[in-house]
Amino acid sequence: MATTAPPQDATTEREAEAWMEDPYGYFGHHNTRIHSLERGHVEAVQLAAMNRRLAERRDQIQVLQKLADGQGIDGLASLDDMAPLLMPHDIYKSYPVSLLAKGQYGKLNTWLSRLTRHAPNEVDVSECDSIDSWLVKLREETPLDVATSSGSTGTCSFFPKSKKDYQVSVMGLRVQLAQKFGGDPRPGDINDAMHAVVPLYRDGHASTGAFPKYIREAFCKGDDSKLHTAFDFKISSDLMWLAARLRAAAAKGDASKVDVPPALLARREEWEQSQAEAPARQMEFINRMVTQLRGERVFAMGTSNMFYAVAKKGLEEGIRASFSPDSVLMGGGGAKGVPLPDDLEEVICGFFGFERMTSGYGMTEMNSFSILCEHDHYHVLPWVTVFQLDLDTGQPLPRKGKQTGRAAFFDMTQDSTWGGLVTGDLVTIDWGNTCKCGRTSVALEKKINRVSELQGGDDKISCAATPQAQSEAMDFLTGLGG
Amino acid sequence: MMATRPISYAVLRGQVIESDLIEFGGRSGDISFLAPDPQKIASRIPLASPRLMEDLYDLSFEDILDYLAELGARLDVNGNDYLREAREHSYATAPTTKPIMDHFFHDMPFMFDKERIRGMVDFNIGVDYLERWVEQEINGSKVGIRAYGARTLHIVAGNGPVLGALTVLRGAVTRGDTIIKVPSNDPFTTGAIARTMVDMAPDHPITKHLAVAYWRGGDEALESQIYQPHNIEKICAWGGFASVKHVTKYIQPGIELISLDPKRSASIIGPQALEDDEAIEETARRLACDFSVGNQTACASARMVYVMCGTEDEDIEKLKTLGQKAYDAMFDLPEVLTTKPKRYDPDLKSSVDSLRFSEDFYTVIGGEEGEGAVIVSHTSDRVDFWEYLGDRTVNLIPVDTLEEVLDVVDAYTQTVGIWPESLREVVRHKGALHGGQRFVQLGYVFNGPGLVGPQDGIEPMRRIVKWIISEEPSEGRKGFWEADKEDIKVVA
Repeated sequence: MATTAPPQDATTEREAEAWMEDPYGYFGHHNTRIHSLERGHVEAVQLAAMNRRLAERRDQIQVLQKLADGQGIDGLASLDDMAPLLMPHDIYKSYPVSLLAKGQYGKLNTWLSRLTRHAPNEVDVSECDSIDSWLVKLREETPLDVATSSGSTGTCSFFPKSKKDYQVSVMGLRVQLAQKFGGDPRPGDINDAMHAVVPLYRDGHASTGAFPKYIREAFCKGDDSKLHTAFDFKISSDLMWLAARLRAAAAKGDASKVDVPPALLARREEWEQSQAEAPARQMEFINRMVTQLRGERVFAMGTSNMFYAVAKKGLEEGIRASFSPDSVLMGGGGAKGVPLPDDLEEVICGFFGFERMTSGYGMTEMNSFSILCEHDHYHVLPWVTVFQLDLDTGQPLPRKGKQTGRAAFFDMTQDSTWGGLVTGDLVTIDWGNTCKCGRTSVALEKKINRVSELQGGDDKISCAATPQAQSEAMDFLTGLGG
Repeated sequence: MMATRPISYAVLRGQVIESDLIEFGGRSGDISFLAPDPQKIASRIPLASPRLMEDLYDLSFEDILDYLAELGARLDVNGNDYLREAREHSYATAPTTKPIMDHFFHDMPFMFDKERIRGMVDFNIGVDYLERWVEQEINGSKVGIRAYGARTLHIVAGNGPVLGALTVLRGAVTRGDTIIKVPSNDPFTTGAIARTMVDMAPDHPITKHLAVAYWRGGDEALESQIYQPHNIEKICAWGGFASVKHVTKYIQPGIELISLDPKRSASIIGPQALEDDEAIEETARRLACDFSVGNQTACASARMVYVMCGTEDEDIEKLKTLGQKAYDAMFDLPEVLTTKPKRYDPDLKSSVDSLRFSEDFYTVIGGEEGEGAVIVSHTSDRVDFWEYLGDRTVNLIPVDTLEEVLDVVDAYTQTVGIWPESLREVVRHKGALHGGQRFVQLGYVFNGPGLVGPQDGIEPMRRIVKWIISEEPSEGRKGFWEADKEDIKVVA
């Protein structure tokens, strides 16, 4: 296939460049404007941005070069031409696990370098003796802040996100959550230092610890006293990985078959204890915040299930929060196959005193969270192109009518990686209808399934083993954003 | 549309039920089918009373063989409309393709060969134990042992259409009362066999002691009625994590679970197998049989192949050669054994494709067209998605020592293919300790004696019968009432 980009239009090109570089700044951090653009215009800018990125990144990111060369793609004439250049999310864990077990961070660095335009391989990691020390070193010496996540099979993925990626990501939360859609932002919406209540870890490389330092910038305007976390320490990626591996091994009947350094193994109890205590400490934390931040404008972000548990108990005890009414709470974790209670919103809003709770759809591999509107649609930011791929052929489904397919995205704001990603999620979009909420941006239906949940179907019995569904124990670790 | 949807007939104790049909299946692109409303037939599925098993004891083992042989003759798909229809519908529900399914159906009559059955029963249980009390003297008593049929509910797997036939056959020879819950990936075949039995001999005890029906596995309203000790004594569940797991809630005193857990399989290959080109060629041909036959849908299909060739660069080159040859050899096998998979798992494709970008660590051979792929690891790591390997996708893993291989043999490992034979002693002994359950010569995973004995570490045929003991004192053994105090021993 050999396609070429359409002729360039100077205005569109300038706009594409601005969206790629500083999308929120370009729109004056104006949530309503961001979600009120005309579709044809958005798609023209997206196409221009794709071509710019391709030209720029193909020599910077080796996997992209390989893919684009292999497909013979030099330019994109339409959005759908991007489909062959979207990368499977598995690529971020496509290293042999023994490298990690043996602590070969140099080799891991080489592997990681192929996935980003930055150069982790130029960092000397010979002294690194743990995942944490490796990733801290990269954070100190490169623009990267690599994101980790542990899966139920005991693997750990490394997504070479940059600090700028995190900044864009959290700015998106601030703009979309602190402003109501439909009007202009009030001055404080953009500039006030808000209190951030995050019942997670203060630091870490996984999604349960990575966000607070960026939330401090975007929400607290750098004021450390306004950042409230339940656990004022860093969550260890080494311990998370160890726990995931031990759990995977135990599920297979022999936990002794895990090759782990004794020093790490010794910390297992510490980890398990902190895990066991976590729910109680989170509850205590929220209750403390409820008293301490009475009347304050608050941004709270955590998993829906955790907020629900806290709220339910609070209501039973006759406690109600009274934050300022323009506070906002974002839950997440509902799309991971974890059932959410029917009265979720009622209980959470009843306790926190908000009109409604918001939730977001996003993932580590993207900068852009899509926020659920009051008509149950996740609205995708204009700098993200959504693709729905046919489950069997991988071909993009038409961008018209009502379609259900595997979600894939191109996020033009990605600073470090290519930005084109195929997910494991199944999404439905009605392309022909504009959402009643007034936003003109692409709207995903609330119900998002995992593609893997469809495999096997109904009551098919096979003697061959397949992995069981994601273990419940992993929910806490992966419940947010991951 | 209504009229064209296929029916999964319930066949209950000599009666074919095709009324009160409701719709099942149809999720994620599967076809939907009709089956009698399970609630309407629930009370007729179990045998009303264990007393009613007496009629099976009017039959001799030879009578049973005669019945099965006659049935086998009628199961020639070319002369049997029911089977032909089932085969036609099964193309849509089965995980494999038409040529493979055709072959399964073609071979079905051979399963009913008298001598084959006699051999299997004798090997497993001993025909004598089914026919009469087998008596012997032990510890001053004359002890008789006899294997009695049980009321067993079978939850059969559907990844090959032969399991229903095998279950019918096992139930008959053990004089069991057999209930078969058919799966949604094979909802037609067993019913067709049962309908053939009804046409052949509607009032025969073997026909009367078979109930075949479809209901959705996990249908609590139905299962809580049927899965009761007054209805059944045993549940024999094949595979499927969810299917086995949901059955366990009905297990109580009076109901025994015979669980053939979901399994996967591997191969272990020694360095000699890669000694020269000729050796590599042979190993590749053997390997292709073990991973590609039946399109890798069976638990016995090899998915990971450990090769003790070492992990230096030149070792990896050899391993790549083996991989390429094994990939090529797959296409030399006849289509009755293996074909391009029906539908290549899209998640698996995404995982395989992602390795193409990691060429320092993996070589991916094939897999572009959904035909299957050989993934050669360059380190002693299996791919991270090893649990999802299927659709003729195999992972070759180089190792330095046998110990590294045994680390991944566990209780989920069913078959281990071994090559060359010189490895057998150590692999089967250590492998059994680690959890492995069946050890075969590489290339013969699907070319052995059949399911004649132990499977998954247990003996299902010996488990579906009740082992009854009958004791009488040998001559001269005194009763407690007449013995001296010091001669009285109460010993377990």
